[in-house]
Amino acid sequence: MFNCKESIHSLLEYVEGELSDTQALELAEHLRACPPCVDFMKTYRATPQLARRALVDEMPSELASKLKAFLRSKLPSK
Amino acid sequence: MSDSRAPLTPEAAAGSLPGLSVSDAAAIEDRALLDRAQEGDVEAFESLVERHKDRLYGLALRMTRSEADAAEIVQDTFLAAYQNLTRFRGEAAFGSWVHRIAANNALMRLRHQRVVEAATEELLAPEFTERGSLAEVPEVDWSRRADEKVLDEELGRAIRQGTDALPEGYREVFLLKDVEGMSYEEIAEMMGISVPAVKSRLHRARLALREKIDAFYKEV
Repeated sequence: MFNCKESIHSLLEYVEGELSDTQALELAEHLRACPPCVDFMKTYRATPQLARRALVDEMPSELASKLKAFLRSKLPSK
Repeated sequence: MSDSRAPLTPEAAAGSLPGLSVSDAAAIEDRALLDRAQEGDVEAFESLVERHKDRLYGLALRMTRSEADAAEIVQDTFLAAYQNLTRFRGEAAFGSWVHRIAANNALMRLRHQRVVEAATEELLAPEFTERGSLAEVPEVDWSRRADEKVLDEELGRAIRQGTDALPEGYREVFLLKDVEGMSYEEIAEMMGISVPAVKSRLHRARLALREKIDAFYKEV
């Protein structure tokens, strides 16, 4: 059976479904006996989801205007 | 009189065709605009710029951590896209294509900067006891927050700071995989590293960012 360290080190492969049958079994056994690692796994999975939502940036309007002017100076006129 | 060639919003397009997702509808609309742009319609190209500029800017800003660099990357990317428009055959979506150009551009700038300034950041990681148990038990299961409709503003700021604090090489992998959705193989090729190295960096970046978010919830 994995310990916490081995379980956490295998999380990427677990999330991607790339663990071998033996490793998946060792991880499952550990998770059954270790609620903190279950919480850790849930929050590990949630991290990219939260990041995708937090990392939405809008181009500031001043920069957007500069971009428009720049492209108009380079592109053929309409 | 309405212009039948005026772009539909993805939401309107999705609404008019049941079963079509907003992202599918956006890709179809992009394709239509791209066809017109490839025929020389500058206005159609400007519509593509308008539709993709914010996401491109976001990617460039998070990768370079510099507004000035991000603005230049967006400019250069759209100019390169326009200059290569007729060569683009459309096997990939327009959005994926320009994102790849921008990511390559950002990586080139970072490579240059890395020669000038050494990375000083360190990666956060969970700590373990000698027997391999978690040294600190997570106090809060905040995973459900990822499904909430509105993202807490303070949390958003903490995540942006946490991402910016990821060391060079890790931040790019995290952004390209977890935010942009590129494949391991694509990222490995762009960054000139192996797929296992991409996976290792991604895992460590996720762990570091998870620690930041965890710390945020402990403070709340």
